[in-house]
Amino acid sequence: MSTSSKAPPGHFKILYFGPAENHTSKSSEDLPAPLPIAKLFSTLEEKYGGIKANLLESCLITVNLEYVDIPENENDEGMVIQEGDEVAIIPPVSSG
Amino acid sequence: MAKELQEGNCYVALTHDHLNSASMIDRVRSPNAGAIVLFAGTTRDNFAGKPVKELQYTSYEPRALQTMLTICKSVLERHGLTSIAMIHRLGIVPIGEESILITVSSPHRQAAWRAGEEALEECKAKVEVWKKEEFGGEEGGVWRANRDGALGVRVNDGNVESEPPAGPHGPILRPGRLGERGHGAVVHLNPQSSGP
Repeated sequence: MSTSSKAPPGHFKILYFGPAENHTSKSSEDLPAPLPIAKLFSTLEEKYGGIKANLLESCLITVNLEYVDIPENENDEGMVIQEGDEVAIIPPVSSG
Repeated sequence: MAKELQEGNCYVALTHDHLNSASMIDRVRSPNAGAIVLFAGTTRDNFAGKPVKELQYTSYEPRALQTMLTICKSVLERHGLTSIAMIHRLGIVPIGEESILITVSSPHRQAAWRAGEEALEECKAKVEVWKKEEFGGEEGGVWRANRDGALGVRVNDGNVESEPPAGPHGPILRPGRLGERGHGAVVHLNPQSSGP
């Protein structure tokens, strides 16, 4: 699970762990930045139909290793994912 | 090669190697401590009666190490521990081998017992590690989620489905908490401490 390679200019890196990796069939990819965090789920839904209801709604999100809130409404203000950021989809965990 | 973090008397690590309980006991050994408790989590050969061939763990390593350290620091402080250490194995873990070790030391045993259990519960609720159970045969693997003890998402490509809760004790019926978004509750073992 590489988290080292940086996204190219104008992009951010998004990481898919555990069940998220199965939904997307990849462990990571680069998406265009900037992107308001409120639009992240709909952006992913466009690429991976069904991912929102089947997966994302039970997931947490980190940006640069910190957990962030996803606004309920897409038009709400919220943080904006910037070029070079590392975003991760965190499904319910199962350590131990 | 283990990835590790150390702060004060807290040590946390992730590794693809076999876990060594003797070295984890030695990490918390101290002349101030009259008790060391070791918890070893080992991989079980079945899930709800279904044979499991092997388990595979993946992790968001830098995030998981931070969460493990935060848990250890708070458990250490809450129980007045001398020292605490936590290591989780990643990759394929064959049945019957250790996937996690937690060691705690404290002046007296009661605090060590309680702290060990609490550290494990918090780890299972929060640490960014994911377990896939391989059942063998044509079924492929299944991702587990600790929060409900249920079978998770089937791994067959392009054919992802969610399964209803099927844990041995049925689904856990508990209202969601604000901001929780699917991650399970942390179980505190001493609820009486909130009393008079």
